[in-house]
Amino acid sequence: MRKVSVLLAALFVIAGLVIATNGRALEGEVPTAPAIGATVDNFTLPDVDGNEKALSSLKGKNGTVLIFISVQCPVSNAYNERMEKLAQNYKAKGIAVIGINSNSTEDAAAVKDHASAKGLTFTILKDTGNKVADKLGATRTPEAYFLDASNKLVYHGRIDNNQNASLIEANDLRNAIDASLAGKPVEKTEAKAFGCSIKRA
Amino acid sequence: MRFSRAILLLVVSLTLVSFAAPAQNKKRGRVAKPRPPLPVVAAIDTENLKTLLKESRQKPLLVNFWATWCDPCRDEFPDLVKIDSDYRGHSLDFVTVSLDDFTDIKTSVPKFLGTMNARMPAYLLNANDPEPAINAVDPKWQGDLPATFLYNDKGEVVYKHFGRVNATELRAAIDKLVK
Repeated sequence: MRKVSVLLAALFVIAGLVIATNGRALEGEVPTAPAIGATVDNFTLPDVDGNEKALSSLKGKNGTVLIFISVQCPVSNAYNERMEKLAQNYKAKGIAVIGINSNSTEDAAAVKDHASAKGLTFTILKDTGNKVADKLGATRTPEAYFLDASNKLVYHGRIDNNQNASLIEANDLRNAIDASLAGKPVEKTEAKAFGCSIKRA
Repeated sequence: MRFSRAILLLVVSLTLVSFAAPAQNKKRGRVAKPRPPLPVVAAIDTENLKTLLKESRQKPLLVNFWATWCDPCRDEFPDLVKIDSDYRGHSLDFVTVSLDDFTDIKTSVPKFLGTMNARMPAYLLNANDPEPAINAVDPKWQGDLPATFLYNDKGEVVYKHFGRVNATELRAAIDKLVK
């Protein structure tokens, strides 16, 4: 009887291990993004000149847009003009746009040169070791997070539906910001698009 | 005398031309050597992609989502082509789905596949809004490329990987299905 119990226990352990192993294989290594409505904690990262900047010091009065961007990714680059316009259009409305570069393959100097060459005037932070990308579950560039005035996550995902500006049908990020500014509920809180994977360290 | 010198000049010229002509032809022949035709890339919309992925099939199916603008996608492609040639005929189907711009369907996409000697059926997603396709493949996928999925013969995902594949890990997952 004792032998049977030991055998059963061993079988349970083996079954558990098999299930756990399969689970890991299926889940891959995708970090999980905070749920919509969750508060994003303050974080500090250096800007492209190496000066430490805290989210609390950069955030907008009415909300903050964090966008994971890249120097080399053609999809991210297709959005340079749109991101800059977004920052300009919403500055007076109390919304701050912050770029975050988490690619281990792109150093601060490259990020600075790229911003200068592409006319990106909003603050860009260098996320060495992809700490903030991990915290926010960011996987691709460009990928946007819109936080309200109290840093609650209101929208997560794409900037719009198409990297080709002439094919835009859904301005998801702008729609979320506009709704939030108007005190209305955001209809679409998450939206996806294809992008370059973030090159993690 | 002047006449005979002219004749001689003509003969020498004709001789030179007759030697030069075949050489030129040979040169032209080398340039015109027939190149293998570029792989055909078929457009696929979201509904047909859903059908392709979820239907029951005779063999397991490996699907790689990629784009010519994606560095790790290009980087992993030789591994995928090798896997395709090693497992083709061993009960595995393999298709690639490009997420390039639709206008690249006859240019950069087949050109890249041609340089890779890729022989697996190639598709390019024709969707203005990619979100329904991403969610149909995997609701947990955010759209980062590359992404690779292995389906069993019931149309269930048994392995997936986001980012550059690890060929050894992928082969091990395939071996579980085809051996």
